[in-house]
Amino acid sequence: MSASNPSILQCRNVGFSVQAPGGELHILNDISLNLNAGETLAIVGASGSGKTTLLGLLAGLEQPTHGDIWLANSRLNQLDENERARLRRRQVGFVFQSFHLLPSLTALENVMLALEIAGMEQPRQRAEQALEQVGLAHRMQHYPRQMSGGEQQRVAIARAFSGRPAILFADEPTGNLDRHTGQAIADLLFRINREHHTALVLVTHDLSLARRCGRMEQIEDGRLLDHNTQTSEQRLKLVEGGQQS
Amino acid sequence: MNPFALSARLLLRQGRSGALMILAVGLIVATAALVAVGSFTDRVGRALERQAGEALAADLVIAAGERIPARFFEHAESLGLETAEVISVSTALFVGEESQLVDVKAVSAGYPLRGQVTLSDGAVERSGREVPARGTAWMDPRAQRALDAAIGDSAELGVLELAITDILVFEPDRAGGGFGFAPRLMVNLEDLLVSELLGPGARARYRLLLAGEERALRDFRQWFGQEREDGQRLITAAQAEDQTGLALTQARRFLGVAALTAVILAAVAILLSALRFATAQRDLVALLKTFGASSGRIMAALSLLLLYLVGASILIGGALGWGAQEMIARILAEGPETLLPPAHAWPVLNAGLFTLLLAAGFALPPLMSLRRVPTMRILNRSLDTRPGLSGLLWLLPVLGALSIPVVQLGDVRLALIVLGGSAVLAGLLALSGWLALLVTGRLARNAKAAWRFGLAGLQRRRGGGVVQITALGLGLMALLLLVVVRAELLEQWRGSLPPDAADHFVINIQPDQVESVGRRLRAEGAGNLQLRPMANANLVAVNDGPPPDHRMAGQVNVSWSGELPPANDIVAGAFHGPEGRGEVSLSLMWAENLGVVLGDRLSFESGARRFEAEVTSIREVDWNSFNVNFFILLTPEAGEFLPHQYIASFHLGETVADLRGVTREFPNLSIIDVAAIIERVGEIIDQVSRAAQVVFAFTLLAGLVVLLAALEATRDERRQESALIRTLGADNAMVRRGLLIEYSVMAMIAALLATLGSALTGWLLAAELFEFAYRPSPVLFILGFVVAAILVVGSGWAGNRSVLATPPVRILRTGG
Repeated sequence: MSASNPSILQCRNVGFSVQAPGGELHILNDISLNLNAGETLAIVGASGSGKTTLLGLLAGLEQPTHGDIWLANSRLNQLDENERARLRRRQVGFVFQSFHLLPSLTALENVMLALEIAGMEQPRQRAEQALEQVGLAHRMQHYPRQMSGGEQQRVAIARAFSGRPAILFADEPTGNLDRHTGQAIADLLFRINREHHTALVLVTHDLSLARRCGRMEQIEDGRLLDHNTQTSEQRLKLVEGGQQS
Repeated sequence: MNPFALSARLLLRQGRSGALMILAVGLIVATAALVAVGSFTDRVGRALERQAGEALAADLVIAAGERIPARFFEHAESLGLETAEVISVSTALFVGEESQLVDVKAVSAGYPLRGQVTLSDGAVERSGREVPARGTAWMDPRAQRALDAAIGDSAELGVLELAITDILVFEPDRAGGGFGFAPRLMVNLEDLLVSELLGPGARARYRLLLAGEERALRDFRQWFGQEREDGQRLITAAQAEDQTGLALTQARRFLGVAALTAVILAAVAILLSALRFATAQRDLVALLKTFGASSGRIMAALSLLLLYLVGASILIGGALGWGAQEMIARILAEGPETLLPPAHAWPVLNAGLFTLLLAAGFALPPLMSLRRVPTMRILNRSLDTRPGLSGLLWLLPVLGALSIPVVQLGDVRLALIVLGGSAVLAGLLALSGWLALLVTGRLARNAKAAWRFGLAGLQRRRGGGVVQITALGLGLMALLLLVVVRAELLEQWRGSLPPDAADHFVINIQPDQVESVGRRLRAEGAGNLQLRPMANANLVAVNDGPPPDHRMAGQVNVSWSGELPPANDIVAGAFHGPEGRGEVSLSLMWAENLGVVLGDRLSFESGARRFEAEVTSIREVDWNSFNVNFFILLTPEAGEFLPHQYIASFHLGETVADLRGVTREFPNLSIIDVAAIIERVGEIIDQVSRAAQVVFAFTLLAGLVVLLAALEATRDERRQESALIRTLGADNAMVRRGLLIEYSVMAMIAALLATLGSALTGWLLAAELFEFAYRPSPVLFILGFVVAAILVVGSGWAGNRSVLATPPVRILRTGG
């Protein structure tokens, strides 16, 4: 972990299991990884492999049953739900597959809502700037239903980065879009990553999108695949050493 | 799996789902309201039936405002008919230190000719044809209670002192139980005749009761047709039942309307929750179809499921309604002594049938729409058809359900008026609610996060919000009108009366007593004392022709004065002075009803004398002054040839006066306590509105069910939104604040509309009916807002605990 590029996200031996009628069901096992500020990471895997659960854990939406997660220097295991929510306000941005805009709010209001939740100054100006940056200056007063899927996702991206988060989680951000629009959205995400030095964690099926990330982790049956059959400890060391897989 | 097994499993597994519970509660409320009103009206109907033929205590009655001449009795007896005479008059009765306005009924030997009276000596009840012995009186339990009297006490009636010997439990010609105006005292006719209570102005009602062979009755009717005198009318048993039933029919309709509003709201709740339930079953239905279940079987199972719900709702709603009707009967009967016949089960079955119709009309169509769920939905949801109602077939059961009001009210026109009126009122509320929501949408633009989230919720669910506001507003408005506005109207009307408004009348003052009575009353502290002459005359012609409106012809009360009495304003012509002769001044209302104008000539007859007067002025009379006022004021010379007495009005207020001393000194006087009458009217209004409150409580409850149904319908949406803003970093407190804002704003809009609506209704009633300006008190607004806040925020909170508990990770797992 270098001083100029400090770790923004780190997890060690993280596991997640739930109680099922047949006994304990292990969804994630022994996950360790690290991400420095400004880095990009793709998590790929088949449906049901556990990648969305991993994203939820990394973003502090859920607590792991084993292991530790640090997000922006806070150990998530030690925070209660409200404290994790407050951490997300300032440090985390989200982009979802199905956009998740509030349909009764305009594009501008949707972006402002996130800024207001974060208690930021001048939410209107910030939101306007963010929408301008994603090329939607002319659509600010439009409602989601009046916009195309690509435009809605751009509003969601504006909402995600307008608060200048340290890390942006994107869950299948191009999954509901056609190829051409998906490409444009991906470009936008990586541009934000470059311009704002925002770390980016992408969960996707799309290998071409994943390959644009600095690193790619593959998840299978709740475990990160070790291409060289290293142990998780070894992998962690590799990751901490800044090596890319 | 056969439909029975499938429906049983569905019920077991989905029984606790919010939508099914609310669907059931909607059905229960509708059943309860229908049972309550249906059962009560059935009991009243049977009470009237029980008395059929006895409603007159005779086969035929001649009623009149004057004593019926002996020749009518003699002719009837010559035909072989039995006769009896009844005279009724309202007056004050004194027992010990207590006094009470009572309805005195004096009966002659032979009464009742049909039916029996039931008496109680305190221990044993007996029934038979019996009249009070001279010097004795029977009083009904209400009078006994009001006067705190016991058997053996003596009662002062005019100049008489009567011993109370029995309690009058039942009298045949007082149909409808004890729903009368004033408590009853029954005395012997001979006693009343010597009580000196029966002067002109006493407003006594006279009856000749007849019973006997049909042929003799027919002969008598034929003879009466020729011999009938002015002011006499014939009453048959059928008419009597109609008359006595009229007041109760009105009460029944009023309650019917109240029940109807509850049913309409319940129908909305049923529809909303059925739609929600049907939407939630789409995956299951697609899955069952994939497994090979036929549409028919699935539909049969869903219909059975609905049938189970209807069955359970009828049982629970029936029990609730049963309790409510008992409460209504007790409130209206003022105690157990006027017992109605016991309730029957059939109104419950009847209401059950309506509930079934309601379920078929509003719950079945959404469930049946599941028939069209494509099997392919299981593979690809985008291939699903739009859920909801399509086609016109579902309108049939809805039309069937809408026929409920027609049957319920027994009157197509009234049902249409109620439905139309409700629709207009609901439309107005909905429009106002929609506008209010638009305004909050504008406000949201400048609001902060929690406010923005809360108000956005309202905007997002504007349609549902309008339904909720309308339903709650209707229920709340009905109750506010009955509980607050009614009481305030009565109180403010009393307060609007002049401070020296007359509160007592004295009738029967002979011309030679005028000075001494006036002196005595002033000495007792009577203020604003006005003594006016009064005579009876027959209006026989207008401008030499018969009066344009025959109902205005016949006997009228007239007075005369040389100067315009207080609280009278001339609106046309000029009032005749003390020197005027042959002129008449009419009250505006009477002149308009009769259709006469200035310059018309009215001809009157009194005894053998006929006289004429020209209309020279029209007066607007302020009846709220409670002064002695007359429609017809002649010039003073009328006093020279018309036989007359005097009538006085005065204000006593809180002054303690020895009015009994006055009646002892002048035994022929009758003193009427107007304040007591106003109080009694107030009590009756109170009674009816308390009974209606029971039914309107169901309306409010139904409004609440609509609220819960709409909350339930949007639960998933709220969860999703809550999860989203948590993901964006909102903590629990912020989500709670947002929901609280959403519910509070909705409650405030509903409360604002309900309080303004009821205040406006009160103002219109006051201006149109009572002619004073109603000022709604802060209580109306405080109560409206507090009740709305408790109901909406409370139910919102209860219905949305799961929203608050939704973990943010849900946002990653849903495609919404």
